Amino acid sequence: MKYAREVALALLLVALLVAAAILEPKFVTWRAQALLATHAWELAIVAVPMFLIIVAGGIDLSVGSVVAVSAVSFGLSFERGLPVAVCVCVALLTGLVAGCINGFFAARTRVHSLLFTLATMTALRGIAEGISLARPFSGYPESFQRVMGGWFPVCAFAALAFSAHILMTKWRVGRWIRALGTNETATRFSLIPVDRLRFWLFGFCGACCGLAAVILVARNNTAKADMGLGMELEAITAVVLGGARIEGGSGRIVGLFLGLALIHESREFVSWHWKQHELNLIVVGVLLIGAVLIDQVLSRRKQAAFAHNG
Amino acid sequence: MAEVMRFWTLIVSCAALAFAGCSSENKAEAPSGSAPAGKESGKKITVAMLPKKKGVPYFTSCSEGAMEAAKELGNVELIYDGPTSGDAAEAVKLIDQWTAQGVDVIAVSPNDPAVLGPAMKRAREAGIKVITWDADSDPQNREFLVNQATPEEIGNSLVDTMAFDLGGSSASGQVAIVTASLTAANQNEWIKYMKSRLAKYPRIELVAIKPSNEDQKLAFSVTQDLLKAYPGLRGVFAISSVAFPGAAEAVKQAGKTGSVFVTGLSTPNDMRGYVNDGVVKSVILWNTKDLGYLTVYAARALVDGTLKGGETSLKAGRLGEKKVVGDNVMLGGTLTFTKENIGEYDF
Repeated sequence: MKYAREVALALLLVALLVAAAILEPKFVTWRAQALLATHAWELAIVAVPMFLIIVAGGIDLSVGSVVAVSAVSFGLSFERGLPVAVCVCVALLTGLVAGCINGFFAARTRVHSLLFTLATMTALRGIAEGISLARPFSGYPESFQRVMGGWFPVCAFAALAFSAHILMTKWRVGRWIRALGTNETATRFSLIPVDRLRFWLFGFCGACCGLAAVILVARNNTAKADMGLGMELEAITAVVLGGARIEGGSGRIVGLFLGLALIHESREFVSWHWKQHELNLIVVGVLLIGAVLIDQVLSRRKQAAFAHNG
Repeated sequence: MAEVMRFWTLIVSCAALAFAGCSSENKAEAPSGSAPAGKESGKKITVAMLPKKKGVPYFTSCSEGAMEAAKELGNVELIYDGPTSGDAAEAVKLIDQWTAQGVDVIAVSPNDPAVLGPAMKRAREAGIKVITWDADSDPQNREFLVNQATPEEIGNSLVDTMAFDLGGSSASGQVAIVTASLTAANQNEWIKYMKSRLAKYPRIELVAIKPSNEDQKLAFSVTQDLLKAYPGLRGVFAISSVAFPGAAEAVKQAGKTGSVFVTGLSTPNDMRGYVNDGVVKSVILWNTKDLGYLTVYAARALVDGTLKGGETSLKAGRLGEKKVVGDNVMLGGTLTFTKENIGEYDF
């Protein structure tokens, strides 16, 4: 079955919510869910371009640091007295530029993105700390917090996820991305502009990180150089849990959405029920292992089916 | 595309089912039968207590006092949780989670008041009582602060301890202060009260106030200079947590252990070595266990309505009556660690 992965995830999610409803009735109310969800959007927004990059056979470890640089540049420009709208543009632009640096390496070198994004991850975090002198910047207008902390992140994620879905299923570029993740040499020989595609995938990822940074700053009312720490791991976990092959070539946005939802709900529920914050970290690890196990089972069944038919 | 649509329908209907079946809240109130009759009445409440950083000995010690109070009251369920990384954004998540759970009181020791502010505001808007303890936030975002010590108490306690170390009311000799920086607000406040307290001891003479700029090495060399410049020096107040070990080390290396005493504010673990060496006779701090204990009692009283604006005192179990000044619940009283009792404290 084509959607076995997604069905498995959805069943897990439902099972979790049913268990949660029995153990903690208050957890499964719209009010609680709406409040808890406010912390999920920046990760969701970063996970979409991460998904595209992974399907294209790459990876971006620098997302958390790009978020930090964008947040700090937002804070610095606000400190200079620039209007908030301009600060938002500065943050988005900073993200875009940082992403394009990754894109440059992706397009011009034959080094795997794991390596150069590891380098930019460290370097950009250092830059964020350096230009901010590790100071926090706060005191943004209430209206900014209200707008960015309300429905905006939800709409932004919905728009991103929907366009990514259309891109992957309807547009030529989606085919290119999958082809690139499956076999780079063959893709090059098919006269697909591989380098330009890679450059813009990373650039797009950077811009999304800038957007996530703005949302994060608005919600916390502070811009700091240690923002987005560990975000890359969570984003990659969501993508892999959602069924994208880590080697590239396949993956569906529906799966990504379910992966994100499962991570978010299980993390919040575990911390809610057992009241131990550290459990949050364990949950992400357990889910990643679970994702690998599901893969194993599904692919074994697929092989068995092949053998049977063949 | 059709397959995708079918799939989404499946998910949405599953989710709707789960929500519809279970979102009716008919959870019975937890019985408060464990509370012995005659004790404070009132329904069982949940108090969520957030430290700046979970797992550090200072806050663990506070949590022990809080648990003691919750057990004693019997009608308080205590949640003690916080980020082990000290990350303020994680603390915000916890506050939001408690808001969603609908706890009765959230007691926050904010590691970053600006970041935690909006979440504390959200909690208050949802009808939850919010107080701060150990450190304060913007007063708009909380009802009360459980304040461990006033500058006056700290200043008095420092001078009294030094006088005691130098021989009680007949103490005499020159003393000096090594402070954080000359503009540090907290320290300057303490120094103000120290100076007025010193009037009580006419034979103790304050000869110098030197800055150490939160630098242990500078505190070390400043103290060395003081020892050379004032051969009759008998005591050094090192009133920042960084200056304290620096000054103690200088006295120790100058071979003046036993003739020059250093005192200041710190945790027992940081100064244990110097106390056992005899360079430092007394380390001053507030009682961390009592701070946690008082916080839980204040939370209970806030829900019961016995702690409200205009109130001047609060009954807090074994601590007795505690003063309430404005929107501050005062713990008051400092705790002195000496060679005799420092072994009992591990934080």
